[in-house]
Amino acid sequence: MRFFYSSLLDFWEESEIKISKYYPLIPVYAAYLVLFLVGFTVPGMWQLMALLAFYCALGQSWNIFMGMTGYVDFGYVTFIALGTYGMALGITIFYQSGLGIGIIFIGLFLALFLSTLSALLEAGIALRLRGAYFAIACIAINEGLRHLIEGTRVWGGSEGMIFWQELVEAFGRETTIQLTTFWVDLAVLIIAAIAALITIIFMRGKIGYALTAVREDEDAAKVMGINTMKYKTIAFVVSGWLGASVGALAWGLKLTHVFPPDVFVIHYTVECIVVVLLGGAGTLLGPVVGGLIYGLSKYWLAVILPGFQLLIFAPIVIIIIVAFPEGIIGLLKRKAKGTRFEKYIM
Amino acid sequence: MTLLKLENITKRFGGLIAVDDISLEIETGELIGIVGPNGSGKTTLYNVISGVYPPEEGRVIFEGRNITKLPAHRRAPMGIGRTFQIPRPFSSATVRENVAIGALFGTLSGKVSVDESLAIADHYLDLIGLQAQKDKTAGGLTPTDKKLMEISRALAMKPKLLLMDEAMAGMHPKDLDDMVNFLKKVAEEENIAIVAMVEHIMRAVTGFADRVMVMHRGAKLIDAPTAEALSDPRVVDVYLGRPSEVKHVEG
Repeated sequence: MRFFYSSLLDFWEESEIKISKYYPLIPVYAAYLVLFLVGFTVPGMWQLMALLAFYCALGQSWNIFMGMTGYVDFGYVTFIALGTYGMALGITIFYQSGLGIGIIFIGLFLALFLSTLSALLEAGIALRLRGAYFAIACIAINEGLRHLIEGTRVWGGSEGMIFWQELVEAFGRETTIQLTTFWVDLAVLIIAAIAALITIIFMRGKIGYALTAVREDEDAAKVMGINTMKYKTIAFVVSGWLGASVGALAWGLKLTHVFPPDVFVIHYTVECIVVVLLGGAGTLLGPVVGGLIYGLSKYWLAVILPGFQLLIFAPIVIIIIVAFPEGIIGLLKRKAKGTRFEKYIM
Repeated sequence: MTLLKLENITKRFGGLIAVDDISLEIETGELIGIVGPNGSGKTTLYNVISGVYPPEEGRVIFEGRNITKLPAHRRAPMGIGRTFQIPRPFSSATVRENVAIGALFGTLSGKVSVDESLAIADHYLDLIGLQAQKDKTAGGLTPTDKKLMEISRALAMKPKLLLMDEAMAGMHPKDLDDMVNFLKKVAEEENIAIVAMVEHIMRAVTGFADRVMVMHRGAKLIDAPTAEALSDPRVVDVYLGRPSEVKHVEG
């Protein structure tokens, strides 16, 4: 009996050590929960919450690749755009199939499929390059894809695809409105939560160590036995999946249309960079904090001083990035070292 | 048993011949010094052995297997560890994590878990005397501590062959003697062949190596037991220019 009791205690201690590795998720999920509750209960706040969830999700998705490897992918918006197309294709092809809500999952699947294809293609070409060369190759692929769609007139060419009618036909008007104004935003928040979970699993695992080595000194990493190409590609593909899911939901299903000049826009990549750098690249909580600050400031500045928001926001971003190059969470992490908050901040 | 065999290795960079027709055999557990002035091709030779780039001519054979074309990340787990002339820590990671990376990816089985690798890291940091620094970020260490960290990182890879690039340069003579003793002890206990590359600190070579290869302008000048190699007139010539000054320096 006594033996049983002590082994139970051992088991408890061991699992507590395992669980304690995931404590840094607590502040992230707490922020998401507050976001959801405020949006759900306070009238008129849901759209703002959706915007913030969008930036948090994008920041976290982008952070998995950029934050961990240090490779700056300026063409990241390609994944978001392809995700949007995946959803558009899923709905326009299958809306009469009688699969009900299943067509949204088909759309998501197509989004993941397209982003995987493009990620592997880009990995083959661009991931062998470094620094500015990598960034420029990614921009080139993004622009190339846009002109390919417009030039060959596939997927609606430059006219894009509009699928509101198809959605109404498949689900009925009421459900479609519900879907595009509530469920889609909730789904984006869930993607953000999944992205956080993947981030911490990566950081705590073998791949996290490999990617840290790649970020700090890729050649030394190879000599240490790290198959750098393999780990970079995994992070790239996973980051692409998450970006494509955000695109499929927040752009595809929410707006119910897709036009090439609206989705293949580098501006959104720059927003990702700002979100991640504000919060702290390579940290878990950083993209959440960055997403909230960026989303809120963008929203309020647009209300208070419409048209001037970029003019005001740009210098603020520059000041923050110069003053805290490791981001807000990077700074906080350093301050929290040795205190009891240490295990919650990552 | 022959651990590493280099057969007529030649490496060129454009018109420059960095390594010129070098052959070398290293036995299991052997301690070897590679000596040569700056620019004599020592680091290039290391890069060819560890797989940073392939040689233009010749073969690299490790434990009987031709690894000339094998990429670096596949050579390391076979048992080829190395340190760098200018330490290359993974700066933002802690010292402990740096050493753990060696254990995680550099061992042959490939089945070391993250927790196990951290335990291995603790072991080697204890051994080399860096345990007090283990939670610091590696970028913040002193240059000497960075070298020690690199050595523990390489040892955590459980190498059969350890290539050390000027690991002892810039050390205080007392620390240097400690380091030589430490390396000899580890090499014997874990049966590691160590190749130490040295530019001019002969104290490190004489105390450490059983055998010395002297390189000059990419080519092998001599490969002989330490005392014999260092007193060879050609070697003296390369280093000092005039044979008459030899006795003065060595005494």
